[in-house]
Amino acid sequence: MIEFHDIYKSFGPKHVLRGVNLTVHKGEIMFIIGSSGAGKSVLVKHLVGLLRPDKGRVVLDGQDITDLTEAEFYPVRKRCAMVFQNSTLFDSMTLLDNVALPIRKHMGVTMSEARELALKKLELVNMADEATRYPADFGDGMRKKVAIARALTLEPEFVIFDEPTTGIDPISANIVDRLIRDLSDRLGVTSIVVSHDLRSIFGVADRVAMLYKGEFLLDGPPAEYRTTDNPIVQQFINGRPTGPMEV
Amino acid sequence: MPFREVSEIARMLLLTVFYCVRRPIRWSEVIRQGYDIGNRSLVFVVAVLGFLGMILIFQSAYQAQQIVGDLQMLGALFLQLLFREFAPTVTALMIATRVGTGIAAEIGSMVVTEQVDALRMNNADPVQYLVVPRFISGVAMTFLLSTLAVVVCFLSGMWIASVAYDVNPSTFYNTSMLEWGDFIAFCMKATAYGVAIPVIACHAGLSAFGGSEGVGWATTKSVVNCSLAIVFLDFLLSGLAFVFLFS
Repeated sequence: MIEFHDIYKSFGPKHVLRGVNLTVHKGEIMFIIGSSGAGKSVLVKHLVGLLRPDKGRVVLDGQDITDLTEAEFYPVRKRCAMVFQNSTLFDSMTLLDNVALPIRKHMGVTMSEARELALKKLELVNMADEATRYPADFGDGMRKKVAIARALTLEPEFVIFDEPTTGIDPISANIVDRLIRDLSDRLGVTSIVVSHDLRSIFGVADRVAMLYKGEFLLDGPPAEYRTTDNPIVQQFINGRPTGPMEV
Repeated sequence: MPFREVSEIARMLLLTVFYCVRRPIRWSEVIRQGYDIGNRSLVFVVAVLGFLGMILIFQSAYQAQQIVGDLQMLGALFLQLLFREFAPTVTALMIATRVGTGIAAEIGSMVVTEQVDALRMNNADPVQYLVVPRFISGVAMTFLLSTLAVVVCFLSGMWIASVAYDVNPSTFYNTSMLEWGDFIAFCMKATAYGVAIPVIACHAGLSAFGGSEGVGWATTKSVVNCSLAIVFLDFLLSGLAFVFLFS
């Protein structure tokens, strides 16, 4: 279980998170939505120590991980993988070596063993035939698939997806959605998905939390978002350009 | 540079040295960076130092003729000046602008596209992965380029002295003023600049934030901090050399 307790985070004069509370249960697919710059990615990065809160606690399966050192975060990052918004594949490495990197670093195995395991993960996303090519040869969708394969190499218990379907075609987006659902249903993986994609939100999510002005405005199942009379939520869900929401 | 920034740079330097000692070092990346730094700076250093050598000798010979009327020691004094001060410091300032900005921009881009976060997620310390190869190649290439600068600057000075003032090259080539202290001062300065430039440039890159604006800010910060560090180190090392080597 993941718990964020009263998280505050500012960057200079900009207060991004103002006392955020959130609990994500085991095996759940939790979507965090909100306008651009609302602090969704900032919040999830606290879970893996890429950002530290100004105030508040982050608890993972009962262990307070807020004040861990960078080295103490390594085992946490092995359990919690993250698929970044920009795919973040390393251009100087082949797809295979990109996927093999976390295996080598976290498991301390030889390069050939790491490559063998990495190839199996690339097969999962139908990219094994392209294993020896470089990221620059591919578009956003395929790069994102490889990034997902890399995130899954260590068989994490928790996966953070930061806008996994943004910038990819509808078919690839559906594949990604199905993968997130499968991870939860078959392997019991807990997923936190940062997204704007309404099709994904209403198709895959178990629970959705909407972040607005540094706090959660609504936290509940997707169906509640259709029935709520909160004008800000309604404006966001229906994509209306005018309304009470300050973007 | 504010105090906090200086302490961060000092901490990064210590961590870099620690990783150099602890290993493993990505030697292929060290060679690639070395080639990149050398190749990017070679023409620039040769052209600028060549012209500066000619300008310096032309002007100083003119002044010397006005005062003493004898140019016999022109080459000997010029060679001493090159070793003690001119070659390593001017070369370092050029490397700081040509290479330091490149390093800051490259690493800054990696930060804003979350590649550095991805490295941390994969259990790879950005200092070990990104700074160490640039540090080792930076030290080696600054030393080599400073040595090349002495040769180019001296030869171009010799040519202009011969053409403009009829100074025989065999008279100009005079090592009688050189002492071991000059070589030691040269080595100290070239090494100190070689250490400072990559560490300061990497620090600027790693502290980038936001988007492309953040990368621009990092490159500006790199060139300003590197230049300040070079001037400060020059002042400090010249003082030490004067006290311990030349007095």
